Amino acid sequence: MARDADVPQQIQTDAKIVVKGITSVFHLKKTRTTPAGEFIALNDINLEVRKGEFLVLVGPSGCGKSTLLDILAGLAHPTSGGVYIDGKKVTGPALDRGIVLQGYALFPWRTVRQNVEFGLEIKKVPKQERAAISDNFIHLVGLDGFADRFPHELSGGMKQRVAIARALAYDPEVLLMDEPFAAVDAQTRESLQDELLRIWEATGKTILFVTHSIEEAVFLGDRVAVLTPNPGTLREIVKIDLPRPRHNSDTRSSAEFGWIRRKIWELLQNAPSDARPHPNAVPVADAISPTAAL
Amino acid sequence: MPTRNIVSPWSLSRWLDRSSILLFFAVWEVAPRCGGLLETFIAPPSVVLITLWELLLSGELYGHVAISLGRAISGFTGAALIALPLGFLLGGNFTTFERIVTPVLRFLGQVNPFSLFPLFILIFGISELSKDAMIFWVCIWPILFNTITGVKGIDPLLVKSARSMGTRLLPLFFNVILPAASPGIFTGLKMGAGSAFFMLIAAEMIGASRGLGWLVWNAQINFQIPKLFAATVVISVLGMILNTLLVTVERHLLGWRDSSPHH
Repeated sequence: MARDADVPQQIQTDAKIVVKGITSVFHLKKTRTTPAGEFIALNDINLEVRKGEFLVLVGPSGCGKSTLLDILAGLAHPTSGGVYIDGKKVTGPALDRGIVLQGYALFPWRTVRQNVEFGLEIKKVPKQERAAISDNFIHLVGLDGFADRFPHELSGGMKQRVAIARALAYDPEVLLMDEPFAAVDAQTRESLQDELLRIWEATGKTILFVTHSIEEAVFLGDRVAVLTPNPGTLREIVKIDLPRPRHNSDTRSSAEFGWIRRKIWELLQNAPSDARPHPNAVPVADAISPTAAL
Repeated sequence: MPTRNIVSPWSLSRWLDRSSILLFFAVWEVAPRCGGLLETFIAPPSVVLITLWELLLSGELYGHVAISLGRAISGFTGAALIALPLGFLLGGNFTTFERIVTPVLRFLGQVNPFSLFPLFILIFGISELSKDAMIFWVCIWPILFNTITGVKGIDPLLVKSARSMGTRLLPLFFNVILPAASPGIFTGLKMGAGSAFFMLIAAEMIGASRGLGWLVWNAQINFQIPKLFAATVVISVLGMILNTLLVTVERHLLGWRDSSPHH
């Protein structure tokens, strides 16, 4: 692509992930009712994620958050701009990023253990080493004793645990999660959120988590990036100063939690429907704390 | 899965399960001995077994079975070798082309192989090739259609998640595409193998000088009723063996499916 030519292959940065001026335009085919046109999925997105940070992308459907995650994973290419991991430009999928999808995407013909070992096989890790690693991660997600079960024998929550173990097993530095808990029931969801925080604290991975649930975003994230649709624009990045370790039992009931949730809700509600000028490259509300909102 | 009580193979309920087949053989044995028309047209099992034994001893049966199996295997293998790659290409890579050619393929798939048999004889002569072509024709369509359906039905999320791990094209094919499409492919192979055997016997009855179908036909025109029954029994037993074999392979390869009672 011609526009990619002026994007540097490497940049100087301290951040783990740098998203620089990402714009993604889809060309719509002409149909009987609508003329051919362009759909701007993402409009000049700029974002930096620190090493070991838990960043949540929140927004309604159609705001381009999954497209952004696909670009980060290297599965889709932006129309312009670039994604840098440790200063190096992302050109395709690789094992330095693990991905967890909403639909689990477990291989039904492989047991839990074989699913967890998939990335290791691709990485050509020897068999004995693979077994040790998969044992470790199956234990980490709390599925001891289920290693030889097939996916159809597991509940939705257990399947998602396997997917997380599979993404962690080949030791990526970045974990990309696309609405991973959207398909499970509320109770399972809360326990998976607690588990994820525990795993994050244990492994120190950099996590980029996509969700449409404001509560989930506030509960999990160090910072929450609010995306608004038509075109997909980064509205604001909200810093979450809730103390860690967080637990669903007490964190959600705190007053600060309510205030931040309210703040993000308003950001999403007041999103102007018409195209607005690009937000500043440096997010303005970076330092908004719950007390400031009071 | 509900656990069934282990029942001794000689218990009353097991005998009850087998009662229909035992009754069938008993009636078959006794009825022809009551005289009348039945005596002329139906050979009792004891006579059939003796004939079978003689056919086995003379080595005649072995030759016919070998010929028939050889034809079935070569026709089936040829069809699979063409239909599987073609199915992957049409279902996976060239979906637009697949949409265009599907009506033609569906039409060809419905063409009755018997009506084409004279054509095959014209083209290939009364050689092995005309029988092989017939088996090939009946096998290729179910394998092709089921492979296309199987490949098109692969969950794109599986491919996406494998690709996100940097899986290259060849490992992606062998580790994801092939196993994900295998239930469809196996359905096609099973259907193909079943109709191959069925059609083979018919083809051999029309134009062959050896084989199990020919044996039936030959016994029929020479009015060798016990021999006709013996050949029919051999065909049935071979069909049952083939079916058991396929079920075993399926259970082994596709045991991971939730519909399968075996893990």
